[in-house]
Amino acid sequence: MLAAWLLTLLLGAWLLLGRLHTSGDLRGFMPPAVTPAQHIVMDQLGDGPGSRLLMLAISGVPEHRAAALSKGLARRLEADPACAKVMNGTPDLMATAGNLLPYRYLLLPAEQGVDRLAGPALRRQLEDRVDELDSPASSLIEPWLARDPTLAVAALAERWAPSRSPSSVDGVWMSSRHEALLVVQTRAGGFDPAAQLALITGIRHAFAGLPGAAEAHLDISGPGYFSVVASQQTRHQADWMGLCSGIGFALLLLLAYRRWSPLLLAVLPMASGALAGLWVLSIWFESVHGITLAFGITLLGVAQEYPLRLLSHRRPGESGWLTVRRIWPLLLTAILSAAIAYTALYASRVQGLMQLAVFTVTALLVAGACTRWLLPALLPPVSLDAASTPGLATLRRWLDRLPRPRWLAGLIAGASLLVLALAPGPFWQNDLSALTPIAPALLQKDAWLRHELGVADVRYLLVIPGPDEQEVLRRSEAMEAPLQALQAKGGLTGLTLPSYYLPSEASQLRRQQALPDAPTLSASLRVAVRDLPFKPGLFQPFLEDVARARTLPLLDAQRMEGSPPGQPLAALLLHSHGQWLGLATVAGVDDPQAVRQQLQNLPGRPYLLDLKATTESLVSSYRHRMLLALALAGVLLTVTVLVSLRSWRRARQILWPMSLATLLVLAVERGAGLPLSLFHLIALVLAAGLGLHYALFFEQDSEDPAERLRILHATVVCVISALLVFGLLALSSIPVLRAIGLTVGLGVAFHFTLSALLAPRRKGLESES
Amino acid sequence: MASVVAGLARPAPAHVPFAEIRILHVMDRPLLSRGELAWLGQGHLQRKVLQPQPGLVDIAGDQVTLLRQGRAPRHFSLHRAPELQLMLQSFSALLEGDAVRLQQSFQATLQSRSKGSWTLDLVPRDENLRRQMPHIAMDGDGRQIRCMRIEQPHGDRSIELFGTLADKLGASPQLDALLRLCQSAD
Repeated sequence: MLAAWLLTLLLGAWLLLGRLHTSGDLRGFMPPAVTPAQHIVMDQLGDGPGSRLLMLAISGVPEHRAAALSKGLARRLEADPACAKVMNGTPDLMATAGNLLPYRYLLLPAEQGVDRLAGPALRRQLEDRVDELDSPASSLIEPWLARDPTLAVAALAERWAPSRSPSSVDGVWMSSRHEALLVVQTRAGGFDPAAQLALITGIRHAFAGLPGAAEAHLDISGPGYFSVVASQQTRHQADWMGLCSGIGFALLLLLAYRRWSPLLLAVLPMASGALAGLWVLSIWFESVHGITLAFGITLLGVAQEYPLRLLSHRRPGESGWLTVRRIWPLLLTAILSAAIAYTALYASRVQGLMQLAVFTVTALLVAGACTRWLLPALLPPVSLDAASTPGLATLRRWLDRLPRPRWLAGLIAGASLLVLALAPGPFWQNDLSALTPIAPALLQKDAWLRHELGVADVRYLLVIPGPDEQEVLRRSEAMEAPLQALQAKGGLTGLTLPSYYLPSEASQLRRQQALPDAPTLSASLRVAVRDLPFKPGLFQPFLEDVARARTLPLLDAQRMEGSPPGQPLAALLLHSHGQWLGLATVAGVDDPQAVRQQLQNLPGRPYLLDLKATTESLVSSYRHRMLLALALAGVLLTVTVLVSLRSWRRARQILWPMSLATLLVLAVERGAGLPLSLFHLIALVLAAGLGLHYALFFEQDSEDPAERLRILHATVVCVISALLVFGLLALSSIPVLRAIGLTVGLGVAFHFTLSALLAPRRKGLESES
Repeated sequence: MASVVAGLARPAPAHVPFAEIRILHVMDRPLLSRGELAWLGQGHLQRKVLQPQPGLVDIAGDQVTLLRQGRAPRHFSLHRAPELQLMLQSFSALLEGDAVRLQQSFQATLQSRSKGSWTLDLVPRDENLRRQMPHIAMDGDGRQIRCMRIEQPHGDRSIELFGTLADKLGASPQLDALLRLCQSAD
């Protein structure tokens, strides 16, 4: 029987490994987006242009060495398919324009493009070229002279380049701290830790393989990197804690039962429950969130109750079946109430929480069923009576003799409410960045690299809604002048509008029609070249280019796809949720009000989106829903207890300590100045589920002293093992795990204490001692 | 060679008149100019042109600024021509008399001739720069640089005469006569 069970578990686990996919997308634990702004934010956080950038810095060696390493690394990364683009220096003009070179007069604003082809302007341009050719700058000009004497290609590169570029040494970017800088654009979105991890591992591997890389140091930064670090940290800590709590649990059981067999017997229902939970998850959901699995450790603290109760309640000589039938009613109440509490999480519509609900409910039901129907068959026929555990009787007497003043409950309730009302600091944690486990030093480095490289802000985004692509582009063009004026005054350091890459068809047509025809241009050229030392016939390619540009079909987003600006454009011109959106990235926004003022009277009402503020509003407006779900859980719990106990007085006996304990946990946390987050609320539900078990069993105190000892034994073992698991979590450096560990740990302690203190004293007790 | 290079060091600021002939394949006649070079230390070089048109070229760090009367100043970032940046960094090495730094970027060979005249041939080590400027030659006499001759692809070349030689450029110079002038000593 035992062998069969073990075999089933192993087989199940092995088959599961094949089909279980984990995901690390942190958006799984964020509330669902409702407003269009919230949708944009969620999309951008995962897949936006800012989220796909990784910044690399090579330091620790002299500048020339760092530059050589930068070139070597860039060459290797270009071959990596996971890298969409690698940049380590300002690209040369040909690379910037690519196959769009013939379109340059359509892509540039008139002052920089077609206007320079008319008579006097053309003459001035050619005079300038002579100047430049006679100077050290000649090598910059010469390759383009014949084809593009007005240097439109250079103007185009300026338009598409970031406004701030780091200085160059040996042709590659060098920061002000003598680090060689590179920027990698990834194919995978920033919130896909698995893909980002593969890429980052590839980058480090490529770097290590470079000659002379041994003394150098490679720093990586960016949203993708952070999501990898966060998920690795979570995983590492979850593994470590699982190990520690597993060992602790084993030791505890040895101490409590003084035998080896309880260890195995306790583990079987839990393992079955966990496995069943994972199987259901893998069938119901496409991929399982990593944090859900980490939460899964907490299951250890909850499901261990059932086998432990069975083991502790055995009377000497009693068959396991009898025991389980005896305790089954209360056990069933406990199981169902915990399951109901978790079901409330399902109503939250947060992906991660729904998975957690499914996992836990399944696991609890299966663990309970195993305890009821499978485990008794495995129990050895004779076992040590838990009632005879040394020290237990003393503990029971001590507990019974504790003063139970009637005013205790009132005092606790009053004090807690007072603390809650007067506690310092904000009540709710709205700032999602406080939930990040990333060290502040890494975040600072990231901000500094962004500044050095002129990379766009992750916080602000300009949004241009519109009925169709062309209208969005026209509105974007209308924004160019006011925002560039603001940029000149210093209100912005960087600005990239979608119309920078792709002008509207109306503008393109206007410029195309302004291009001079062949005879006019030849005549202008003849006049402009007079007395200048250019070789005759030099500008023939120029004449041909302009003639061709007059007949080119206009550019649209599709035509631009394969060209160098195609990819940045695709990130800025979106069709999502039935609306066309243009996005503009900005950098260095010191005063968002100033930007909003510039946008005020523009057509189509473009707006400045503050991602941070929007996520905060998302969290806080969502909280109401969460609180409602919790209230629902509370009601369901009450109903379950009432139904199973069939007595309002008894139900009150149980619910009163539970409510008090919950209030006390809140008071302690708020009193310590902790703002409460979604995860604290989840943890409160968990703690209440556990607390219900203690209260149920304390309430049901029996007449038989041995039985009372057994009840105490079971409860104490359960409490200690729960404290073990959640206490370890409370020590974690990851805010989410710490929140859960602290809340449930406190909750378990308070629920136990208050259940013991507030349970009605047995009538026969005064006469006993 | 180190001693020759060290002898070229000049404390900043140093001003030296120059005359230049530049032959470009896109031009139908050579470009002649005359003016004054100012070496202001720390990689900051200024080229003041007096003939044919007054103007100033300022090279500092990674920016080239062209100033001409009646026109807005034009800026070029050397980001897009890293070879140029490298060359300018090397010249400041020369004007600081730092042979070691010079040899980091160029393969340098010295030809000594009679009466103290010498020619320093520089071939860039970096392949991109080599493509742009295959050969730079400096002719000198003792501690003075007399000429700088740069060869570029497509038949482009330039010869710059410094100091007292600047007056000897003439209206229609012949290349072999100039070469003889550079490599003699007086």
